[in-house]
Amino acid sequence: MNYLLPERLDLLAREYALGTLAGPARRRFERVLHASPAASTAVGIWRQRLAVLDLAVTPIQPPETTWRGIERRLFSRSPGAVPARNAWQAWRGLFSGRSLGGALAGALLCVVLLRMQPGIVGLEPRIDALPQSYVGLLLDKAGKPALVASSRRQGRQLTVKLLQPLDVPVGKVAQLWALPKDGSAPFAVGVVPAKGSAQIVLPDASEKLFAAVSQLAVSFETAPAKAGDAPSGAFLLIGHCVKVW
Amino acid sequence: MPGIDSLSELLARVALRDRAAFEHLYRASCSHLYSVSLRILRNESRADEVLQEAYVNIWHGAAGYNASVGTPMTWMINIVRNKSIDLLRSRKSESASTTELDEEAMSVPADAATEPHRMLEDSLIKAKISDCMQALSSMQRQAVALAYYRGMVHTDIASALNAPLGTAKGWVRRGLDQLKSCLEASGVTGP
Repeated sequence: MNYLLPERLDLLAREYALGTLAGPARRRFERVLHASPAASTAVGIWRQRLAVLDLAVTPIQPPETTWRGIERRLFSRSPGAVPARNAWQAWRGLFSGRSLGGALAGALLCVVLLRMQPGIVGLEPRIDALPQSYVGLLLDKAGKPALVASSRRQGRQLTVKLLQPLDVPVGKVAQLWALPKDGSAPFAVGVVPAKGSAQIVLPDASEKLFAAVSQLAVSFETAPAKAGDAPSGAFLLIGHCVKVW
Repeated sequence: MPGIDSLSELLARVALRDRAAFEHLYRASCSHLYSVSLRILRNESRADEVLQEAYVNIWHGAAGYNASVGTPMTWMINIVRNKSIDLLRSRKSESASTTELDEEAMSVPADAATEPHRMLEDSLIKAKISDCMQALSSMQRQAVALAYYRGMVHTDIASALNAPLGTAKGWVRRGLDQLKSCLEASGVTGP
């Protein structure tokens, strides 16, 4: 059979691009494809047409393990892991486990979260699914929201935003603490500013630090707390720390 | 779709074995490609497997990408589609020969005939080319959607739509013909 008669070629290219060409016919046509630029062009044209059908399909974020799997397959023999050199590489490890895909879009809390860095090549997901994150909303003694803290599940950075200014006494700092759900001693997370936003660098991945934490709290301390320190007085702000996934 | 130039640049850098560009490319395209695979395979771990293999191929094959036969996104979508369809069909023949059906992967839900149809409608509306589909009959739309979004072959489509094989083939063929002329007329191009 002459596969390259224009009409026949167009039919076969169409069926191949669509996927309905199956079995031995598909394999035969693949051999033709390898040998004939006309056939690849015909298939390319149909793929381009059909790809329109993919234009607006909701993107779904694969689990972070997918990327790690790819790296392992391709680069596992290269010496050592490449240290984070730029923002993109720092992105590695920001997701893990099964992606929430679109499901999270409906679970938007009224908090500001670190957003995925979109638009670098204009292909940001069309849905604004939240990345897997830990989120804390701390209230003051009057029950008014005062501070939002958020960190990606595998991130090493906590974003805090003050929703109202903190009246930090001179000579003191506002220290953020994490309170484990088993009631064990709070541990220091970092110092938060009196107003505005800040990024706190975490000593470990959020998942490691916050998986067993049920609450976050702020107290005034005379100096930034070190590992092992305990809060010196009462908490001014306190609130739940939740997993968003 | 925006970003075509950027993807081309990234792909060109990937061809030069630029790992940072490769990660950029992955981050920019993985959610799109994952949904393509997931849609066909309907199984997260298999879609994940296909995605990994696809990006390995993209890394190795970037130098062979030919811009004259499609955009980078189309090129990548088709790597993923082909792998997904191959896996889908290999599992089908496997299950046919062992009669051990993987219900989760292979079962066609009751709404199989309408769900992809809805997805297609959705896609088309978003892509602002719904006008092109108005001339298509409902059966043509469903047949095209089952083929494209589910990786079904004609016999599957005939069975899902409860129609004779020849009729199903006709729906696909005429549906695509109309789609083609309309897209050409309206100047809609792929991603």
